[in-house]
Amino acid sequence: MSTQNFTEHYQKWQQQLKDRLEKSPERKSHFATSSEIEVDTVYVPETIDGAYMEKVGFPGEYPYTRGVQPNMYRGRLWTMRQYAGFGSAEETNQRFRYLLDQGQTGLSVAFDLPTQIGYDSDDPMATGEVGKVGVAIDSLEDMETLLAGIPLDKVSTSMTINAPASVLLAMYIAVGEKQGVPSHKLSGTVQNDILKEYIARGTYIYPPKPSMRLITDIFAYCAEHVPKWNTISISGYHIREAGSTAVQEVAFTLADGIAYVEAAIQAGLDIDRFAPQLSFFFNGHNHFFEEIAKFRAARRIWARMMRERYGAKNPKSWQFRVHTQTGGSTLTAQQPDNNIVRVTLQALAAVLGGTQSLHTNSRDEALALPTEESARIALRTQQIIAYESGVTDTVDPLAGSYYVEYLTDQIELKALEYMEKIEKMGGAVAAVEAGYMQREIHKQAYETQRKIESGEEVVVGMNSFKLENEPQPELLRVDPALGRKQKEKLQELRARRDNAAVEQTLSRLKAGAEGSDNLMPLILDCVRQYATIGEICGVLRSVFGEYRAI
Amino acid sequence: MSQKIRVLVAKPGLDGHDRGALVVAQALRDEGMEVVYTGLRQTPAQIANAAIQEDVDCIGLSCLSGAHNELFPEVVRLLREQGADDILVIGGGVIPQEDIPYLKTQGIAEVFTPGTPTTVTAEYIRAHVKRKKTSFVQPPNKIAHIGIAVSSIDAALPFYTEQLGLTLLGRETVESEQVQIAFLAIGETRIELLEPLGPTSPIAKFMEKRGEGIHHIALDVDDIEERLVQLKANGVAVLNDTPKIGAHQAQIAFLHPKAAHGVLYELCQYPETKGENENE
Repeated sequence: MSTQNFTEHYQKWQQQLKDRLEKSPERKSHFATSSEIEVDTVYVPETIDGAYMEKVGFPGEYPYTRGVQPNMYRGRLWTMRQYAGFGSAEETNQRFRYLLDQGQTGLSVAFDLPTQIGYDSDDPMATGEVGKVGVAIDSLEDMETLLAGIPLDKVSTSMTINAPASVLLAMYIAVGEKQGVPSHKLSGTVQNDILKEYIARGTYIYPPKPSMRLITDIFAYCAEHVPKWNTISISGYHIREAGSTAVQEVAFTLADGIAYVEAAIQAGLDIDRFAPQLSFFFNGHNHFFEEIAKFRAARRIWARMMRERYGAKNPKSWQFRVHTQTGGSTLTAQQPDNNIVRVTLQALAAVLGGTQSLHTNSRDEALALPTEESARIALRTQQIIAYESGVTDTVDPLAGSYYVEYLTDQIELKALEYMEKIEKMGGAVAAVEAGYMQREIHKQAYETQRKIESGEEVVVGMNSFKLENEPQPELLRVDPALGRKQKEKLQELRARRDNAAVEQTLSRLKAGAEGSDNLMPLILDCVRQYATIGEICGVLRSVFGEYRAI
Repeated sequence: MSQKIRVLVAKPGLDGHDRGALVVAQALRDEGMEVVYTGLRQTPAQIANAAIQEDVDCIGLSCLSGAHNELFPEVVRLLREQGADDILVIGGGVIPQEDIPYLKTQGIAEVFTPGTPTTVTAEYIRAHVKRKKTSFVQPPNKIAHIGIAVSSIDAALPFYTEQLGLTLLGRETVESEQVQIAFLAIGETRIELLEPLGPTSPIAKFMEKRGEGIHHIALDVDDIEERLVQLKANGVAVLNDTPKIGAHQAQIAFLHPKAAHGVLYELCQYPETKGENENE
């Protein structure tokens, strides 16, 4: 195409945006700086040439380097979604309502470890862990309490749940039924990314093969019944937290993404039927410009993969939509207030990188779960970026920076090299089973530790600029009696419910797991009868076995 | 027979964050220890049993989920129950300062919170593990001598013989060290005056920096070779990897002063069982 054609393309793009804005206007009628300099939606090179179109293009268009929406945050800000949950369902429900009152726009549920690994609160394996890192959910009853008074047709909910994702999604659907909200109106996300559990996060239950089946069952079920749901959040976050570089984060996440796409295609699903519901989850880390470039590179790689390699036709299948959380492992226990500044920079990079939603960490997370005050400051940090900094007034403001474009190209190149290597090993599942990604990440983590200890890498307040006799901040304590209370509640439920019906649904689930039916409807039946997460996962454990790390 | 410190790095409870545990495990290996890592999701009983089976000197517990107050003390209790309370138990992870005193009353020797350099953890383990009773190391028999650097033996001797009234046992030249030595008896042990024979002598270099004064303390030991192997395995810096021959045909080796808080120690093993004093 000639330059002339590209210019015409740009004019067409502008016209389409104009048409669209007539239907849904932007946040402000006009955007300008303090000096009344008019700010446009997007800035492009003076001459739009083929190289620009191929690598960068226009926002909202393939290859989406500049973002998945044509006008990005001018239309709607990212979703401010603070991950929260601790103790009992009642306490967490109160925190949720508080956060919604404070202007948060989506919920994000943290579950405790027994829930994430499919144990009931009274299981011996759950000793000491009930309600610690998130809310304890044993049955639909706890889920009803957790979501009490929250309209599920208006609020979107992200659930950090992986191995038992089907169970928690089923509970959410069942609460919706009780609120009178049909499943096709529900919106939210289940993390549902088992591969990174084996790689970095550790809350796996079953071996890879049946785990992949559970995931594709969710894809198929949601495509039909819960179309607004993000069926997976393919996560680089924990890979980065475990110690990887930005390039490894991109490469391993996208390699995992490809594994899910392949599994779904093998299960007989059409790419354009499930791919629009795939979403991603990245870390917002320290190196400001590398982080921005990382988002841009990942969007470009994913779009090309989906269109060119898998032949997806629906533009929504090409879009790499991403949630970001700032890097927990960058926070220091020393001088914790400094973490507010770290989080601000990391969050700003994610916004300049074009994230769809964002969690900002609280300053005290290297010490304990955040207090209400810390959680509020973290949310305010996002609000200051959104409403005061002006960075949301134009799309992808750093495009065309020699440096940022160079970093974007380099990250793409190096990530593709890694992905090719994984491909040659037989894909992400085989690479995980061989422990390849785990080793690469560990090497990097050790290297980083060495650099910090030698002082080559400066961590302000920790290995440099230290303070003697720091005051200890107020920390959040989880009620130590919670474990006992939760156990009592669970025992009462077991006495009260229709146990014959529970047995029946569980044995149907067992038969289904032994066969090849989609397990989602069967799990939904169990949940409706108040079968517990431990009972449901126990049945699946008995059929699928358990994964043992190498 | 390996004399390396053996450490079990363990993840009690359900949390899957093992970046810290893996990094510490690797760092302790690099410090010369033998490290066994349990993997994720271990119950206190599994950890205590593994520690006993693996015959470790130390257990490092890592927990980031907040379950430390329940899980760490249980490990110690089970060790005690099985008579294995000589195993040093330390912990790390996301642990609030205010929980540390409680954990210490429960037998957790030390807690290392985020930001602790791995070298600090390694030093702590080295200083606090109770060596196994099967260890062959006996404490040194006595102080063999105290070495004092002087610019001239002739000038220094009158103080020792006339003012302190010590007996001069003899003089000897050790060519390999470029030093002349005068031996003075004092009770069971001796004082050695060391005079450099030339500018390349270690004693000359010492005096250049520090002037005359106490240079080293020599310890009379048995099994010097095995002792050196073990010290090295435990990460103690040495100046001589294997013994060399010193005055009186004794086998000697020096430890690095940084291993002994600034003191230069010499290990001496005398031929047969004869002590230094009888060796005139």
